[in-house]
Amino acid sequence: MPALCVGTPFRKGTIMTASITSTRKEAPPQSTAPTPRPDRRHKDHPLWFLVPALIVLVVFFFIPTVFNFVYAFTDWSSFKSAINFIGTENFVSLFSNGTLLNSLKVTLIYAVLVAIFQNLFGLILALLLERDTKVNRAVRVAFFVPVIMSALAVGYIFQALLKPGGALNGILSFVSGSEVSIAWLGNTTWTIVVVALVHAWKWMGLSMLIYLAGLKTISEDVVEAAKIDGASWWATFRKIRFPLLAPAVTFNVATALLGSMNGFDIVQATTEGGPGGTTELLNIFIFRTFGQGLFAQATTMSLVLFLTVMILAFPLISILRKREDVL
Amino acid sequence: MKKCIRATALVAAATSLVLAGCSDPGAGSTAAEGPVEWPAQDTDLAGTTLTIWAAQNSNTVPESVVAGFEELTGAEVEVETIPDPYEQGVQTKVATGDKPDLAFWQPTASQLTALNASTNLQPLNDAPWVESLKPELQDMTGILEDTRYAALITTPAVEGVYYNKEVFEEAGISELPTDWDTFVELGRELKGQGVTPFYEMGADRWATQWWVQVQLAEAAKDGLWDRVNAGEEKFTDETIQGAIDNYNGLIEEGLFNEDIKTATFEDQGDALLAGDAAMVVQVNSFFSQLQAKTDTAELNEKIGFFPIGPGGNVGTFIPDQSNALVAFKTGDAEKEAASRQLLSYWMGEGYGDFVAAQSTVSLQDSVTTPEDVPEALLSVSDSLGDSVPSMQAAAIANPDLYIFLADMIQGTKTPEEVAQATQDQFAELARAQGATGF
Repeated sequence: MPALCVGTPFRKGTIMTASITSTRKEAPPQSTAPTPRPDRRHKDHPLWFLVPALIVLVVFFFIPTVFNFVYAFTDWSSFKSAINFIGTENFVSLFSNGTLLNSLKVTLIYAVLVAIFQNLFGLILALLLERDTKVNRAVRVAFFVPVIMSALAVGYIFQALLKPGGALNGILSFVSGSEVSIAWLGNTTWTIVVVALVHAWKWMGLSMLIYLAGLKTISEDVVEAAKIDGASWWATFRKIRFPLLAPAVTFNVATALLGSMNGFDIVQATTEGGPGGTTELLNIFIFRTFGQGLFAQATTMSLVLFLTVMILAFPLISILRKREDVL
Repeated sequence: MKKCIRATALVAAATSLVLAGCSDPGAGSTAAEGPVEWPAQDTDLAGTTLTIWAAQNSNTVPESVVAGFEELTGAEVEVETIPDPYEQGVQTKVATGDKPDLAFWQPTASQLTALNASTNLQPLNDAPWVESLKPELQDMTGILEDTRYAALITTPAVEGVYYNKEVFEEAGISELPTDWDTFVELGRELKGQGVTPFYEMGADRWATQWWVQVQLAEAAKDGLWDRVNAGEEKFTDETIQGAIDNYNGLIEEGLFNEDIKTATFEDQGDALLAGDAAMVVQVNSFFSQLQAKTDTAELNEKIGFFPIGPGGNVGTFIPDQSNALVAFKTGDAEKEAASRQLLSYWMGEGYGDFVAAQSTVSLQDSVTTPEDVPEALLSVSDSLGDSVPSMQAAAIANPDLYIFLADMIQGTKTPEEVAQATQDQFAELARAQGATGF
């Protein structure tokens, strides 16, 4: 299930190495080399080595996912002990109620915004910090710190910074010389952009790192050849380096877009879905519904989210992989 | 191919295992309820450990009781803090089969239903302390379908108006409003004098619902919530829709603070204390917030309370999580009895110390209220006698009315959409409970 793996932040590491180091045009194996015999391969990598990882995967991922499918068709709630199958009733009532569709819309807008900002910032940082100087190394670490910070902590810090009497308005007041009291988190149109920026700020260090790794894989010869031909920095970047970054772009765009569809913590800490429900991501809606004791409905929503992510993930990743064909 | 078949078989086996396990892990014993036995308060409990779940704002409440009980019985009592949002946290834990012996819990019909009281909670019928409570408090709350499930330990919160006495004095107001019309009229008069009459916390949202609920006081007395519970009357019908419309009208009229959209709970307390606004419709936790900001002397000087309803000074009571405890059915008869014993001690021998340690109003005639309880709290407690139930206290479900009202303040919902969204959610919850009429 590649889509899911990409959507789950915990597995970012594995994909990262996979997509960055994957060099598709590797020299084909010499035809003279003996093809390894199947039984020998078996000896080298016995299948049962997979068992420990598989158990964890089954218990913490497959079973909950299957449960997710099952409970969506029941009337599980905190109000009674029995759980009965009720068919597609949950789906019907959810889709006839506008809140779910609104939350889905908000989630998609949020995900697209995060994907754009996070990649833009990550790429700019990677280009700025590309050279391996001491200063650059230190600055890279500084930009990576938010990635390992608790998302809730980030959310609460930004909430304090962005409130009308917060530090940001204080700085703006000081600089402009007049009283500034913008409610950054209180605008029904623009707050979603602000929150997406916060999310992108938190994760841009990771994108930066991956773009840096991608830039390192570009052969010096290619860049040098371009230089000798008199190509400007911008032309080199646009025509050569950026296309060669395709695997990094695939990973970064896919994780940012699909990962932020599962977003919850930062938005919950900054706006709780407000103002006026304009930042109510599907996960916040799910959390609220679960809190009401409507466990089956919440499960149905999370199934809808799961399916939405899947539907988006397959075409998105295949389009992005297509771009890698230049390699 | 063979591998593929094997994998399919594995998945199928796993799935069937999962399906077989598809039962509610939170389902407790549903044994028939016999009469409840109440052990003596000083029964020896050496070696017994009881766990109390509390929220961040109630985890220090049991301190004096725990100390006294441990000394008297030899039991060990652990207070475990469940992070906010407390109710969600507890419900989720209980749903997955994790239960404490006792927990702070809102003793209202909707919240007891949300915990599936008949399955998960111990009935507290014939509790020894009930007789010693003030008569009007004995059966006020904590009861669901004629079974008592919660022990009320402090005065239930009341929705009403907290006002700044100094602002009233400066504006030359000596008479408090006696009904809704004079209340709104007072607001207009204050606005005419350049004072912000009302202060609302649109950003933190949860207090928005009080404005609608206090307007329903007479209707609540008249059985509004029974009709809503039966599906005979809806939030979209005239009574509740009218209250929402009124609230919206007052906001549009400019009787509220200018920063209503971004104001927080914290701001609301500061504004009333500083006299930046004259009145706030709130509940007891608002006053606790003020107590955290200043001392009793200043509060007595500055802050007053009066209940309000459409036809008179009627309070709307809404017991909250810090007002009561429930005891869980854990399946361990000894511990269950020990939990009941702790409650009897709390409301019995330990109650005097508890009231003194908490500086709170006593619920029992035989225990006097400490002198350092602020006047406003005494007014709140006095209003309980003829108060009426709030939505949370009397409705079978507690929809997110406050979120929808906050949406209205932000301009993303019309008053009609607020009522409709609330009704839809209420119906959804009622259906999940198996209520008739939905």
